[in-house]
Amino acid sequence: MNEVLDITKVLDKKLITTDLKSTTKKGAIEELSELLETENYLTNKQQFIDDVLLREEEGVTGIGNGIAIPHGKSEGVQQTTIVIGKTDHLIEWGSLDDEPINVIIMFAVKKTDATTTHIKLLQKVAIMLADDQFLESLRKAQTKEELFELILKKNGGK
Amino acid sequence: MKIVGIAACTSGIAHTYIAKEKLVTAAKELGHEAHIETQGTIGTEDALTKAEIEAADVVIIAADIKIGGRERFKDKKVVEVPTSMVIKAPKKLLQTIEQKLNN
Repeated sequence: MNEVLDITKVLDKKLITTDLKSTTKKGAIEELSELLETENYLTNKQQFIDDVLLREEEGVTGIGNGIAIPHGKSEGVQQTTIVIGKTDHLIEWGSLDDEPINVIIMFAVKKTDATTTHIKLLQKVAIMLADDQFLESLRKAQTKEELFELILKKNGGK
Repeated sequence: MKIVGIAACTSGIAHTYIAKEKLVTAAKELGHEAHIETQGTIGTEDALTKAEIEAADVVIIAADIKIGGRERFKDKKVVEVPTSMVIKAPKKLLQTIEQKLNN
């Protein structure tokens, strides 16, 4: 890598919650979108939610190991980022391994992201998710600090 | 085996890159060599070279959409799968391909 990418540009501790209340997929997407809106990452929450749900119709976003990665490229996004939610219960999602999930990593991508930097960073996060051991450790993490550190560490170790 | 391939998913944000990483890692673990081009939302990256394609025993197209530059593989053995299959069971896929090639 000849370009130093700072993962914290797309990783905001305020956008990590380990206390997701929703018991449905739609509810969880709305709850995480709410968080994005509160932290000023969205210009149009409903539009973003619609775009994420549209993507859900095109194919499952549960990648196995209890993790789901819903995502939307949307005009409702102000700034490209990821938002992470964990639950202490399982949510039926639609996964490659047909199992329910309890970790959601949602990608919010600005429709007209002029710079590719942010998308490159999301790419790095996606690449991390190809590692089953990493997924396992995400599932075991108890606090938002732990989740944050796991991603930072994984990024640094690459 | 020498493998070249393309990864491309619907929105070109996540699955494309997970699929690539899984393919490359599985190939390495099984003693193969893999070059995978990604066609994502920010365009083509790690584009395959002519030499890589020529040397390849097999082309794996892991895509949920129509990919660009298909004509590059016209004389090659091409395996087409959805990205989900690569993400779910990359090693199994490579093992199946290897078996088929050997028969």
